[in-house]
Amino acid sequence: MDKAALTKYILDKFAGKVDLLDTGKVEPVFRLESDFLLEFCRAINSDETLHIDFLCNIAGVDTGERFEVVYSVASVKNRIRFDFKIAMAYENAEVESVQSVWPGANWHEREVWELYGINILNHGNLTRFLLPDNWDQGYPMRKNWDAPDFVRMPES
Amino acid sequence: MSAPFRTEEFLVNMGPHHPSTHGVCRFLLTMDGEVVVKAVPYIGYLHRALERICENRTYHQCLPVLDRFEYCTSMSCEYAFCLATEKLAGIQAPERAEYLRVIMLELNRIASHLIWYGTTSLDLGAVTPFLYGFREREDILDLFEMTCGQRLTYNYIRIGGVSRDIPPEFIPKLKEFIEKFPRKVDDYEKLLTENPIWIVRNKNVGILSKELALGYGVSGPALRASGVKFDLRRDDPYSLYDRFEFDIPTGTVGDCYDRYLVRMEEMRQSLRIVKQALEQLPAGDIKTKLPPNFKPPKGEVYSRIENSRGEMGIYIQSAGDSKKPLRVKMRGGSYNQLQVMPEIVKGGKIADLVAVMASMDIIMPEVDR
Amino acid sequence: MEIAGIFKYLYEKLASTGLSQAWVDIISYSVAALIVFGFLAVVALFLVWWERKISAHIQQRFGPMRTGWHGWLQTIVDMLKLIQKEDITPATADRPVFYWAPIVAFVAAFMAYVTIPFGAGLIVSDLNIGILYIIAITTFTIISLLMAGWGSNNKYALLGGMRSAAQVVSYEVPMVLAILSVVLFAGSLSMVQIVESQAKIYQWYIFRLPFGPIAFIIYLIAGTAESNRTPFDLPEAEQELVAGFNVEYSGMKFAMFFFAEFVNMFTIAAIGTTLFLGGWQGPWLPSWVWFMLKTLALVFVLMWFRWTFPRLRVDQLMEFSWKFLLPVSFANLIIAGWMKYSKWFNW
Repeated sequence: MDKAALTKYILDKFAGKVDLLDTGKVEPVFRLESDFLLEFCRAINSDETLHIDFLCNIAGVDTGERFEVVYSVASVKNRIRFDFKIAMAYENAEVESVQSVWPGANWHEREVWELYGINILNHGNLTRFLLPDNWDQGYPMRKNWDAPDFVRMPES
Repeated sequence: MSAPFRTEEFLVNMGPHHPSTHGVCRFLLTMDGEVVVKAVPYIGYLHRALERICENRTYHQCLPVLDRFEYCTSMSCEYAFCLATEKLAGIQAPERAEYLRVIMLELNRIASHLIWYGTTSLDLGAVTPFLYGFREREDILDLFEMTCGQRLTYNYIRIGGVSRDIPPEFIPKLKEFIEKFPRKVDDYEKLLTENPIWIVRNKNVGILSKELALGYGVSGPALRASGVKFDLRRDDPYSLYDRFEFDIPTGTVGDCYDRYLVRMEEMRQSLRIVKQALEQLPAGDIKTKLPPNFKPPKGEVYSRIENSRGEMGIYIQSAGDSKKPLRVKMRGGSYNQLQVMPEIVKGGKIADLVAVMASMDIIMPEVDR
Repeated sequence: MEIAGIFKYLYEKLASTGLSQAWVDIISYSVAALIVFGFLAVVALFLVWWERKISAHIQQRFGPMRTGWHGWLQTIVDMLKLIQKEDITPATADRPVFYWAPIVAFVAAFMAYVTIPFGAGLIVSDLNIGILYIIAITTFTIISLLMAGWGSNNKYALLGGMRSAAQVVSYEVPMVLAILSVVLFAGSLSMVQIVESQAKIYQWYIFRLPFGPIAFIIYLIAGTAESNRTPFDLPEAEQELVAGFNVEYSGMKFAMFFFAEFVNMFTIAAIGTTLFLGGWQGPWLPSWVWFMLKTLALVFVLMWFRWTFPRLRVDQLMEFSWKFLLPVSFANLIIAGWMKYSKWFNW
């Protein structure tokens, strides 16, 4: 399935709930609302034509105006790849966990929570793992986190 | 003797300073004697905030950072980033540069698999293969050093091409290597493949089913050993990989032994690709000229390549008005491979944990970034 | 026959000075102990160097090259370094047990040499239960490993100690059965008589088909396991248990474990030589030269194993001993008994 056909298929299937963004340079990038996320993931996972069985990556992004969570997914069987993202305001940023569809999302989501402070709902294991356990200096991947030359580690 | 013998579970901290955790990974093991009841990996000891560093550098300056993302296959990391940037900006590298990239990538894959071969056998108690693996890796590093002056962090592949052309003595040396390497792989296999101890240590140990592997995003040789014939070089071809002929080895069971066999065969296939690339190597330019004030247009791209440890993906988002990327996210194969480990080592012995970790070829800088 | 020429001379000289018999014995045996101790210290130093050289050449390296000719001074210098190192005792260790463990290992390793005949007449004491004595003494090593594992108060060390106890006990059984088949033929437990029963090369027990070679191979496998070497080096499996029972030891105490290990390896080879390869017997060369040549050849085989094989897992190790080696060695013992009884090949 080439890019145009894939775009058309998804836009038709999820009409009104998924928008195509023009930022995707190679693969299409869709945008959807946060409350539709889990339903969308389940649908593309079980859909025969798409059969998205492989979650490549979850990236949190701070664009300077808002948060985005970008999911890169692929189908090993049908050789499809595309991205979709959820954009949200800084305040009360939260997103549903997709572990029930792809268990491998676990660590990727933990990382988004830890470095951006985007809350992951129904995650089950939101504990620090890249930063020290008692880290108390905010979310270091946010753009407003002023990166000092030296970070003093919290005393353990 | 009706009352059962009372046993007690105990905790063992395997790592962060432990010889076989390949860097600094910590496993908190709940042990019942020698049996692992539960394994919880703790990472982050090598976290260097590479993604944040990349956000504060121009695209060109990011390349040395990418070298340090995963130092066993620095070429692939550079290439993944360059590919993503090129896709973002719509640049096409000259053909000669692409061929050189393929040669370097495949040589680097062999070098990385040789490290894996050495460390895996070391983890299972055989010391000698370690040095055999490093002997041939040395030849490859010599080739790299000849080309770009570096042996570990090459900074060779650049956006829009490669940093310099190969020197004239490179090709005879490479031909010599192509000549002798298949014999050496046979030697490696002779030492371990048929060895009964090696077989009992690896067969049916750490079985990773197809469903588990896909669900957890396991990729690369580990996924192929589970019986999924999926190789990005063939299924999502980048660079010039659609021009070369090579086989994709797969396993059937998904145990440590299959992963071993798949990687051994991959070395031979990589060599085949190098050989074909060398035969087809055209003359010509090696670099596309980029403007000094290089700013990719607004957009985002997730591009993935087949690294020796699986899918190596780079997500770049560009704001369009800046010389620096808005966001760089690196995705390494080890990250997901480590994540699936607690599932497959449960109920095994502590020695199996070591075998599984070795066969997954986990490298910690890639996990922690 | 009990004491070698020079030693016998010394013994007679002492006796003629009019000292009481007890003092003569004490002095002469102390001298004998010192000689054996000195010899074994040199052997252990040599073996450490030799192992490094052999492993290096197997792995296409050079090994130590800088200190002395081909690095022969290296182990001596290492020894000096280890003596000078700080002796660290973990705060939570069980001090007396921790302290005594290396000493027990060291003593147990050296005690075996009382009844090993290094050449014709070169034996400290030809006990009539020589081989039984050696088996009993070398088993003491387990106690030291358990003490080290327990005393360190470290989980890795404890796992290593437990593993080694289980392993040594399991492999002791097939080893003793293999030795027993030789004893059956020799009709004696005395090391000297066992050697003397294999005067001609075709009389060596390794060549007495069919039981000889099987017993020898069982002995070699079990011996490798007893001396905790690859493929049976689980008690100190570096990749699983960091260093196993000796993880908390440093300095001289570590060196004692290290030395005991190499002396044990030499013991295994020396007993193998005595039981299966005709001991000191051989033409032209002096008897002790033959003994050393055969023993070092066996040591080489043990080292060769170590640098070629991967390591077994602990349950596979146990399975191999109880499910394979033990039945085979029992069957072998029966064959040997039948051969003896039917006077088949009974030269």
